[in-house]
Amino acid sequence: MTAPALSVRNISKTFGTIRAVNDVSFDVRTGEILGLIGPNGSGKSTLFNCILGQLPPDGGAVHVAGQQVSGSRACDLSKLGVGRTFQQLSVFPQMSVLDNVILAGQEHHGSMLSRLFGKPDAGLTADAEKMISFFRLEHLRDELAGSLSYGQQKLLDAAMAFMAGPGLVLLDEPAGGVNLTMLAHLKERLQTYNAEHGTTFVVIEHNMEFVMSLCSRIIVLAEGAIIAEGTPDEIRSNQQVIDAYLGG
Amino acid sequence: MSQFLQVMLSGLATGSIYALVAIGFTLIWQSAKTVNFAQGEFVMLPAFFVLVCTKVLALPLWLALIVALAVTVVVLGVLFKKLVVEPILPSGGIPLTIATMALAIFLKESVKEFYGAEAQPFPPLFPSQTLNVFGAVISLQDICNLVVALAIVVVLTLFLNRTRTGRCMQAAAQNPAVAEILGINVRRMVLYAFLINGALAALASFLITPVYLAKFSNGEVLGLIAFIAAIVGGFNQIRGALAGGLLIGVLDNLTATYVTAEYRAALPLVLLIVVILVRPQGLLGTSEGRAV
Repeated sequence: MTAPALSVRNISKTFGTIRAVNDVSFDVRTGEILGLIGPNGSGKSTLFNCILGQLPPDGGAVHVAGQQVSGSRACDLSKLGVGRTFQQLSVFPQMSVLDNVILAGQEHHGSMLSRLFGKPDAGLTADAEKMISFFRLEHLRDELAGSLSYGQQKLLDAAMAFMAGPGLVLLDEPAGGVNLTMLAHLKERLQTYNAEHGTTFVVIEHNMEFVMSLCSRIIVLAEGAIIAEGTPDEIRSNQQVIDAYLGG
Repeated sequence: MSQFLQVMLSGLATGSIYALVAIGFTLIWQSAKTVNFAQGEFVMLPAFFVLVCTKVLALPLWLALIVALAVTVVVLGVLFKKLVVEPILPSGGIPLTIATMALAIFLKESVKEFYGAEAQPFPPLFPSQTLNVFGAVISLQDICNLVVALAIVVVLTLFLNRTRTGRCMQAAAQNPAVAEILGINVRRMVLYAFLINGALAALASFLITPVYLAKFSNGEVLGLIAFIAAIVGGFNQIRGALAGGLLIGVLDNLTATYVTAEYRAALPLVLLIVVILVRPQGLLGTSEGRAV
């Protein structure tokens, strides 16, 4: 039996007296698109940070494709094929769109010497251009990333997360602040990428329409703990979820 | 005309050394988000490492320079980061900035205590001849200082822009959390910035000390002028630090020659006030947002 793409076991995280994540466990199958929803402050982003080693959890374990990664740094997880996008804009504003995407892939190529004496683009310009085209940003290839609109930066962020060919991507509010046209485009690109590459996604999102139409399974967090898990239809009709989050 | 040329070249030579020190300010700012107020003392100290090597260990000058460069990179690069920056940075940028002020005093007083308060002669790196360029009498040392300092800046710029490691350093400076997620070892990139700063301080020290002699207090003025140069040019841009250093070097010489030498020390401060009022991000700097 194949190991899950991501296995989270009994993760907890406390800040002072606040229990941000409370004994959370779940698995994500390879190629699955899992949604993680919950009210503000329910611990979703903290959970992402614990999974990625950006915050040390108080307890619990994380496995990626069967490999124990608890305590690993984010840069080491990247080499295991784990990518992430951020809730806040997360590009390198003083670099061009092309350079941002190249940079996102280059750490997975070459030796120590090639970092000093090899090609500055690590031979990735063609691949980066393909990724830029995939997200339909080719007309902005040479623009500074900091000069792009919010929605365009979100697309660039996704292009960067996919550039290293990750097996698992954690997307933190990819739809936040993105206009409807750009949102439909982003969703279509994520679905296409998932279908073509079998990449596993875990998506934190507040936009219910977006998350319900994108994800095959959804986990609901409230006050740091899982209160429900199921298909989008099951979640829509779950009374506990309606009370805690979706509203009447 | 010949006097003007002479003043300009001499100003550029001094300004290029200010620029090396100012670039150190920008590197430390970009990597650790702190202002290193011991930067002037970082330039003062390597000259004394050279003197110890030549006088106490009786090493030839070329070897003394190499040993001093290596010791500076270790002491002011690695040890500074490990013993001062890493333990204090989690408490915030302000405590670290204050710690660098304390470090400046510590370095200055230590050198005074162990080597004395008198200015020490420092062996010149270049022949002390003069050249006649279009009628202007120019010191060969000035020309060499200018050429070497600019060559260092060019090499550094090429390293940062044309190598993968340099681009990773820029990425780590612009957005460390994202850089880490993309697989960049941010801690290593920050260490590189400190190592480069140590090397720049040593090279600036080797170039400027033959002119000013080795003295425990050399870092006070040099550190202040380089700090102002970095702000004037743009604290977050290496090219800004270069421009700021050259500008102050040239204006300083022009003022002393054509206006009055009496107020030359005030000139960088006047320039600083004007730039902060008119263009707070510096001549070539970019404004940085701050979340509140």
